Amino acid sequence: MKIVSCFTELKELEPLAKAGADEFYTALFGLPAFSFGTLPGPDIVPAIKTVHALGKKIAVALNALNAPANNKRLREIELRVRELDKLGVDAFIVANPYLLGLFSGRGKRLRAELHLSSVQPVFNSLSAAFFSRFGLSRIILPNQLSPYEARKTLAFCRARGIETEIFDYRFFGCAYVNGRCKLHQPGHYTLKSVMPDGDLCRINARAGGLVKLKTLDLPGRAGELPALVKRLEHRFTCGGAPRLSNAASFFDFFASGVQYLKYGTRHDTPEVKVKKVGELRGIIDLAEKLTAAKPKAEARRAFILELTRWNGGGF
Amino acid sequence: MAIEKGIRLGTMTLAGLRKSGGLEAALKGFQRFYIGPEFCENLLGRGLCGEAAWLQEKGKKVCLLTPMISEKGAGLLDALFKDLLKLVKSGRLDPEGLEITANDFGAIELAKRNRLPFKLNAGRLLRNTVFNDCEKSLTVNNGLALDFFSELGINRYELSTIGAAPRINFNQGRRYGFDRRSFKITLYYPYLNLTSTRTCLVGMRDVPPEEAARGVACSRECLISSFELAHPSINEKMLIRGNTVFLEFAEQFYTSEKDLARINVDRLVYAPFP
Repeated sequence: MKIVSCFTELKELEPLAKAGADEFYTALFGLPAFSFGTLPGPDIVPAIKTVHALGKKIAVALNALNAPANNKRLREIELRVRELDKLGVDAFIVANPYLLGLFSGRGKRLRAELHLSSVQPVFNSLSAAFFSRFGLSRIILPNQLSPYEARKTLAFCRARGIETEIFDYRFFGCAYVNGRCKLHQPGHYTLKSVMPDGDLCRINARAGGLVKLKTLDLPGRAGELPALVKRLEHRFTCGGAPRLSNAASFFDFFASGVQYLKYGTRHDTPEVKVKKVGELRGIIDLAEKLTAAKPKAEARRAFILELTRWNGGGF
Repeated sequence: MAIEKGIRLGTMTLAGLRKSGGLEAALKGFQRFYIGPEFCENLLGRGLCGEAAWLQEKGKKVCLLTPMISEKGAGLLDALFKDLLKLVKSGRLDPEGLEITANDFGAIELAKRNRLPFKLNAGRLLRNTVFNDCEKSLTVNNGLALDFFSELGINRYELSTIGAAPRINFNQGRRYGFDRRSFKITLYYPYLNLTSTRTCLVGMRDVPPEEAARGVACSRECLISSFELAHPSINEKMLIRGNTVFLEFAEQFYTSEKDLARINVDRLVYAPFP
C-alpha cells in the first residue's frame, strides 16, 4: 500500500517524501477543488519537477462537486487543465461528471490519468461501472463504506485494472456524505454568532436539552424515544454519526489489496503534514510486518490491538 | 402551464396513511404520489410495487424515490425493478404513469441495465452535480452538466425550497451553454435536506475499533419519529429524521404559478413531515 499526501507549499515536498509519501496531490487557485488550501499557481511547475525528481507522481484536485462555470470560465478551466497536462501532471482528481466528460470522452482525452474523487461517492459496484466508462485509472472510496460492502467494487476494479484508494481513518472522517454536506457553511441558515470551535456538525456544547421530539409517528414504539434522544445528543456533541472507518476496517481494506492510502488535510501546517504522513507510514509498515509474520486472523487481531493503544500521536 | 401537485409519503406507507385517516384527502388533493425511501436503502421493500399499482388504479401518477445504495441496496433495488417490469408486462402498471428518481449513479446504471421503460429523474442528493443552491440562489453550474444527464434521459431535477424566490441564471443560458427549456424542476416543500449520512444518526449503533461493520444496521428507528435540534450556534431549528438533517421553510415564497414558471418549477411536492 502506498501513501498519497496532500501538499500546499513547495517546501513540504521533500520532508513529506522522507516521511513516506509515495505520491502527492494539491489544489490550485483558479481550479474548482473541494475544501480549501491551495498551492500558489506559479509553484506548480517547480512542484512537478521536484516530485518527478523524487521519482514520484503528482495529481491535481479538480474535485469540486459544485463547479459553476460560465462558458468563459469553463474555457479557462479547460485551458489550464490542458496546460497542466502538458507540463507533466500525472493525474487529475475529478468529481463532477461534466468535467470527467470534458477530459475523457466529450473533449480531447488528457494524457494524465483520471481519478474519481470520494466527493462523488462510489458506494456500490454499479456506480464503479458507471464511472469506469470515463476511463478512470483510480477510484477513491468514500469513508462511509465498509470493506465488506466494498468487496464487489474492489473485485470490479481489480478486474478492470482500476486502482483503489482509501483515506486514513484517524485524520479524516466527516460524519456526513462528503461533498454533499450543506451543514458546514451557512448557505441556508443563519449563525447566531461567530463560528464555534470545530465544525458545525460537532456541536461545541454539553449534551442536554438540544434535541426534542418533533413528530411521533409510531406511538407503539414511543418507549424507545428517551434512548434515541440521548443517542442523538451524544452524536451531535461528540462528532456525529457512527464511523465505519476504524482500525479493523483499515486492516480489512489493506488485506483486500487496496493500493493507496490518502492523507488529505491540506490546511494542516507543514509540520503536522509530515507527522501525519509518518503515522500513515507507520500503520502500513505495521500491517505489512504483522501480515508477513502471522496468519491473517492473528495479524488482524494484533494490528487492532496495537492501533487501539494509539493515543492520537500528539495531534 | 399547470403546476402538478404531488405528495411525498416519506417514511409513511399507504397503509399508514390510511390508518392516520389522511388517505382520502391525499387522493383528492394530489395528482402524483412520491413513494419509496429517498435517503436510506434500509427502507427499500418490494411492497412498493403493490403501492404503485394501487395508486395507478386510483388514477394517480407515481414517482418511486430511490436512495443512495450499497451493494445490499443494489440487490433490493434490482428485485424491485424486476417486479415493476413484471407488473408492466402483466398490464397492471402503466409505464407512462410511473417515474423513478435516482439519488445514486448506481441506481441509474441499474435502471439502464434493466431497460426500465420509466422516465428517470435526478434526485435531491444529486442536485449539486447540476445546480448551485446556496445563499438564496439557484444556478445551473454549466450546460455540460445538463447535457450529461440529458444523455441519460434525465431532464427533471428534484430540489427543495430554500424559503425565498431564488436568484437564478436561467436567463443567461447562452453564457452558461444551456437552454432553459431543456429541463424541469420538481420542488419539494417545506423541508430542505441539508445533509445526509449513510451511518444513521438515530438507528445505527457505534462501531467499536475491533469490529469492521458489515454495513448499516438499524431497527428502522426513523419510522418512529422525527426530532428537532436546537443548535447553539444556528438560529434556525434543525430537524432530523433517520440519516438526514433538514431545515424547514414554512413560508410560501411564490404568489402565482408564474413565479414558479420563472424558476422552471412545474411540479410541487408537499412533504407532510421531514
